[in-house]
Amino acid sequence: MALEVSHVVGGYSQIPVLKDISFDVKDGELVGLIGLNGAGKSTTINHVIGLLTPHQGTITLNGVTIDQDSQAYKQQIAYIPETPVLYQELTLREHLEVTMMAYDLDHEKAWATAHKLLKTFRLDNKLDWFPANFSKGMKQKVMIVCAFLTPAKLFIIDEPFLGLDPLAVNDLLNLIEERKRQGASILMSTHVLDTAQRYCDRFVLLHDGQVKTEGTLSELQAALPEAGESLNDIYLSMTKVDRS
Amino acid sequence: MTGLFKTRLQRHLREMAKYLRLVFNDFFVFALLFFLGGLGLGYSNVLKQLHGHEWWAPLVALLVLTIVAQIGRLATLIEDADRVFLLPKERAMHAYLVAARRYSQVIAQATQVIAIFLLSPFLAVTLGWTVTPVLFLLITQVALKDTLLRLDLASAYQVTGQTRMNRWPVKWGLSLIVLACGLWLTPIVALVLAIVADVAVAIWFQRHWQTQQIRWREQIKIEDNRMLGIYRFFNMFTEVPMLSGTIKRRRYLDGLFQLIKPAHDQTYLYLFSRGMARGTEFSGLIVRLTVIGMLLLYFIRGEWLPVILAALFIYLIGFQLLPFFHQYDDIVFTHVYPVAGAQRLKSFVTLMTLILSVTAVLLWIVVVVANQQLLPAAVTLIVEVLEVWYLARIYTPQRLKRSAENRG
Repeated sequence: MALEVSHVVGGYSQIPVLKDISFDVKDGELVGLIGLNGAGKSTTINHVIGLLTPHQGTITLNGVTIDQDSQAYKQQIAYIPETPVLYQELTLREHLEVTMMAYDLDHEKAWATAHKLLKTFRLDNKLDWFPANFSKGMKQKVMIVCAFLTPAKLFIIDEPFLGLDPLAVNDLLNLIEERKRQGASILMSTHVLDTAQRYCDRFVLLHDGQVKTEGTLSELQAALPEAGESLNDIYLSMTKVDRS
Repeated sequence: MTGLFKTRLQRHLREMAKYLRLVFNDFFVFALLFFLGGLGLGYSNVLKQLHGHEWWAPLVALLVLTIVAQIGRLATLIEDADRVFLLPKERAMHAYLVAARRYSQVIAQATQVIAIFLLSPFLAVTLGWTVTPVLFLLITQVALKDTLLRLDLASAYQVTGQTRMNRWPVKWGLSLIVLACGLWLTPIVALVLAIVADVAVAIWFQRHWQTQQIRWREQIKIEDNRMLGIYRFFNMFTEVPMLSGTIKRRRYLDGLFQLIKPAHDQTYLYLFSRGMARGTEFSGLIVRLTVIGMLLLYFIRGEWLPVILAALFIYLIGFQLLPFFHQYDDIVFTHVYPVAGAQRLKSFVTLMTLILSVTAVLLWIVVVVANQQLLPAAVTLIVEVLEVWYLARIYTPQRLKRSAENRG
C-alpha cells in the first residue's frame, strides 16, 4: 500500500472542500483522479504533497506521515503541477541540478537519466535557456523531466495531457509505464477521459468533495450499469445526478 | 474620446506624482539644490570670462537648441489592449490623439522656454543680443517644437505609407536649418520659417488623416518604451514594480557560482545566490546602495561620521534583503522538495553574511582611502564586523522565523 488517504477532511480555509475522502494507490498502480472543475482534485493533490494540512484524517505514504518525518515523506514524492512553475532565474540545466541536490541524487547517475529524458522530450539543446524563453508545452516537459529524474515512489501528475503535443503525451505514457513496472505508484488527475480509460488501472471519481465511486473500469460499470460502457459515459451520468 | 484621454491622464499623473514624491525626498532635494547652485555658479563664471564675438558661440547655441528641441515626446498613453478594444473607434481616436498632443505640449514647451531663458545671458554676452531677438528666438523655438510634435502625431497614422514622418533625420534637419537661419542670418527669418513649416504640416495633416489607419502596434511600442524610460529613471531612486521582472544571465558570475558545491545541504544556497544575482530587483538594490555609500564615504571625513554612515548602509542593505527569503514561496517546489526548512534558513543566512561582508569590505576600503588614519579605519572595521555578524547571524534567523510563523 503506497499511498493511503483515509477520512481526510480539508481545504484552504476552515470551510472544508474535501468531506471525508478515502482512497489508496498501491505499488505499481496508476490511479486516475477524475472530477469536474472544483470537485476537489487539486485540493486532494495539495494535501497529498503536503501543501495543505488535513483538518481530520491521515495521509500515509509507505507507512510514513508528513508529521512523523516530513523529509522521508517528501523524498518519496515527485510532483508535476498542472500549470508549470519554474524558477525564473534558473536555466534548464540549473533546474535539473537543483532537483538533484534537493533529492540528494548521485549527480553522475542522475545526469545520465536526465540526458535520456531531455533527448526524449527534445530539450537536449536547450540546457542554457531561461524559462522565459520556453513555450508552455516546453515548460511542462521540463516539469516532467525534473520529476522523472528522481527515483520517487509516488508520482503525482496534475492534468498532464493538455498543452503537450501528441508525441510528448505518448512519451509521458511510456515513462509512466516504465516506472509502474519498477514498482512506483502514480496518482494522476485528468479530464482527458479516453486516455485515462486506456491507461489507468483504477479510478477515483470525485464529486463535490466526496469520493462518489472508485474502482477499476469494470467495477465502475458494474456499479452504474445503466450509465454506459465508457468512462466518459459513467463520468457524465455521475454529473447528471447532481444537476437534476 | 477626449474623456478617455482625460481619465487616463489623471491616472497617469497620479502615478507620476506618487513616484516624484519618492524621488524628491528631502535628502535628494537638498543635494539637487547644491548641485544646481554649483552649476549656476560655474555658468556665471564662464560668462564672465567671455569677451564677446567668439566665433564658436552660435555653434554652441545651435547645438544646445537643436538638442533641446528634441526633448519632450508625444505621450499618447495608449495601452496594449487598445488595438483590440478601440479598433472599432479608430476615427474617433483622432480626438484622443489630438488631446494627447495638447498634453504633451506642456512639458515640451516648458522645457523650450526654460532653455531659451537659460541661454539668453550667453546670447547677450557673446552675440550682443537684446530682448527683441531673444523673444523672436523663443517664439521660433516654440513653433519648431510644435511642428515636431505635429510630425509625431502624423506618424501615428500611416500617412506616408511605410516611411514615417518623424524619423530623426527629418526632425534634426528641420531644427538645424531653422535655428541656423536664426543664429547666423536674423531671428526674424527663422521665426517666419518655423511658423510656415508648422502651418504647412498642420494643413497637410488635416487633409490626410481621415483616409489613413493608425499604426497601432508601433504606437503601442513607442508608448511602452516611453513609459519604460520613465520607470527606469524612477527605478534609480525607488522600486518600480513594473520593472521587477527583468532577469540578466550574468555569465561572468558563473565562475563564482561554481564555488557552491552541488550537495544536498547547498540546494537553497544554489537557488538563492543565482536568483539574487540574476534578478535585477535585489542585485540592483545592493549595487545601488553600495555605490552611493562608497561615494558618500569618499567625501566624508571625521572620526565618527564615516563609522556611522558605513554602519547605516550595511543596515539598509541587510534590512531590505530580508524579503528575498520569501521570493520563492509561491513556487510549489519550494514546499515539495525534501529539504528541511532549517536548511533553507541556513542557506539564506550564509548568503546574507556573504553579501554584507563584501559590502562591508568595500565601504571599509573607501573609509581607509578617504581618511588615511588609523582610528576611523580600525573603529569602522570593528563596528562593521559586529554589525554583519549580528544582522546576518542573529537578527535575520529570528526575524524570518517570526515571519514564517505569522504566515502559518
